[in-house]
Amino acid sequence: MIKYLFAKEKDIPGGTAAIFFSFSAIMWFIIGTGIGSFNAAKLAFPDWFTHLYALQFGHMRQVHVHAVIFGWITGAFAASAMYVVPQLGNTKLWSEKLGVWNCFLWNVGLALGLSTLWFGMTSGREYSDFIWPIDIYIALVMVLPLFINIFMSIVTRRTQGIYTTNWFFAGSFFMLIIVFLVGNAPEFFHLTGLNEAYMTWWFAHNVLGLLITPVAAAITYYIVPKVTGNPLYSHRVGHLHFWSIVVFYSTPAAHHLMSSPLPEWLKSFASVEGVLILVPAVAYVCNILLTMQGKWAMFVENVEIKYTITGVLLAIPLNMQGGFQQTRAINWYVHGTGWIVAHAHLALLGFSTFAEAAAVYYGIQTIARRKLYSLSLANFHFWMLLIGFSLYWVSMTIAGLIQGAGKIYEVPYMDIVIAEHPYMIVRWLGGTMVFLGNFVWLYNMYMTVKAGDKLPVGLQPQDVAYVR
Amino acid sequence: MSKFLPLFDGLKLNSPLKTMSDDAGVENAKHIWENESLGGIAENNNPLPRPVVGLLLLTFITAMAWTFPLFGQRPSAAIYSDYIGIYKSDPVQRILNDTTLTSKEADERAMAMIEKALAEFPSKYEFQRTQHPITMSDLRIMEDKLIELQQTPGIDLEEYSIIGNEIVVANFEGNYKADGTREKKQPWWDKGYKTAIFWFLGFCLAVIITVKRLPPIDWKPDHSVAH
Repeated sequence: MIKYLFAKEKDIPGGTAAIFFSFSAIMWFIIGTGIGSFNAAKLAFPDWFTHLYALQFGHMRQVHVHAVIFGWITGAFAASAMYVVPQLGNTKLWSEKLGVWNCFLWNVGLALGLSTLWFGMTSGREYSDFIWPIDIYIALVMVLPLFINIFMSIVTRRTQGIYTTNWFFAGSFFMLIIVFLVGNAPEFFHLTGLNEAYMTWWFAHNVLGLLITPVAAAITYYIVPKVTGNPLYSHRVGHLHFWSIVVFYSTPAAHHLMSSPLPEWLKSFASVEGVLILVPAVAYVCNILLTMQGKWAMFVENVEIKYTITGVLLAIPLNMQGGFQQTRAINWYVHGTGWIVAHAHLALLGFSTFAEAAAVYYGIQTIARRKLYSLSLANFHFWMLLIGFSLYWVSMTIAGLIQGAGKIYEVPYMDIVIAEHPYMIVRWLGGTMVFLGNFVWLYNMYMTVKAGDKLPVGLQPQDVAYVR
Repeated sequence: MSKFLPLFDGLKLNSPLKTMSDDAGVENAKHIWENESLGGIAENNNPLPRPVVGLLLLTFITAMAWTFPLFGQRPSAAIYSDYIGIYKSDPVQRILNDTTLTSKEADERAMAMIEKALAEFPSKYEFQRTQHPITMSDLRIMEDKLIELQQTPGIDLEEYSIIGNEIVVANFEGNYKADGTREKKQPWWDKGYKTAIFWFLGFCLAVIITVKRLPPIDWKPDHSVAH
């Protein structure tokens, strides 16, 4: 990387930034899930490893959340955008050099930010736990250059039209800057109380709604038509998806605080819009699954399609839960329980991660012009991820329902802790499977670049048979 | 016009269900659609399947119905205001002080008497009272605070909510006028619902115009031109 940081733009091969972002994202995924496994072990076995202050759960939860969101998920988004956006515009990335610097400063900033959390420097606000200088660094040094590179690649495209994927990429990275600067206002201006709570959840809601969900969808809009060779089922349904995300997902976010003394009209409005996220969800899932017509065999045979469609299928329960769990009646039961933790992992480790893994698998092969090193290792990684995630999701959903019942019927707290103990162990096992599977993935990707069979000129990875 | 509102360029409204673009616009869109390869990806021009359209309409109805505050919305202090007067009346106090009854029996009989008396008079709070029933213990907790608020001039109890053991202003809407009343106050059945309906209708209008600017749905692009 050092070589390319100081190289001239013309001397940097196309796709370099995307490759760096891809491997850095996988590394952060390993770190993030490793810490997640450690945290889950502490919840399953509370007496385990209690002597080092910096490694206590309160610190490590924050480090885990931010390592996976900004290291893995957003890093993989950046990797995807840096090779997908130019391809869709029949052009090159606006600046590979900016992309390489972006990746370098991204990793420096994230390492710095996570270190501050480790040492107890935190805003104490969930999902926006970083202190304000780190927030400004993320917005201006990490995300702004990424947005400029993506936006300028779209501006300098050699097509007249802009494909659906690029609407989402450009829109989401632009909105992320706004979300970061506005959502962290409580720290910049010392807002407290209800204002702070509201802005905190406005931020968290929109990181999910205007970044993670739409960008994961954008990736699938690219992978499925590209790999299957089918045209996207409907351009106009893409419009419905995009604009309904903008209109319904970006709305007030007060449904995250249904028990707070926020104005009732704001909570009701947010709650209606919360159910209406099913509009983009239905439009999106229909569009992708109908694009698969006649190519369903690839769901079994092709690695990228297997990951992508699994992610799309997980988007169905994700949106059903998301739409209804915030309504007054259901929120009363599940708020503040493990159900919400399970739902968050369904979004990030389920839908989003599967889509991003597909993008990284496809991107590395396309850019390096090498066929995937091992189908067997990719399948092993897939099943470790899917089974590990499923164990996590199901166990935490059950634990959440137990906690909800305990909360409503005022069962003593310790009795609830004892009742959910088996599920905490399953959670740890599931998370650890994901963590271990990621090492196999890293090895497979490294070997693909180093020893994968070269792709013949004019052919794409999906056109060539797997060899291992 | 086109510089600021390209959405309205070449707008044609004589056949809005088919397309809202003029012939030149439609032909231009078709040409780009068929002659341009977006990184090797093509797009079809299919409509949303009709059952899915029905599903989306059902989603909107569900959103409005499910979020309606039948449950979970905090009760206003105003709906319990009349309880206090009857609670303080001699017949109710006589039951509560009856030493031949257990405290549980006394509470239940006294509350039954209060509810029977309330049913004798029509009230705009009848429905909300059935949503938020209370026990005598609840009434005792809110008694002092409710009486204090009733005796304070210029207080509108509808603005106060019962939150746990407290009665507090918890619904901030509208500025105060000089006489101490609010500029506006939404009824309990419209806490943001009209806003939601306008928002949804605005969305539908914008998206329908956007997709109806495309070539009509009976046109199928020929992908062999560019691919």
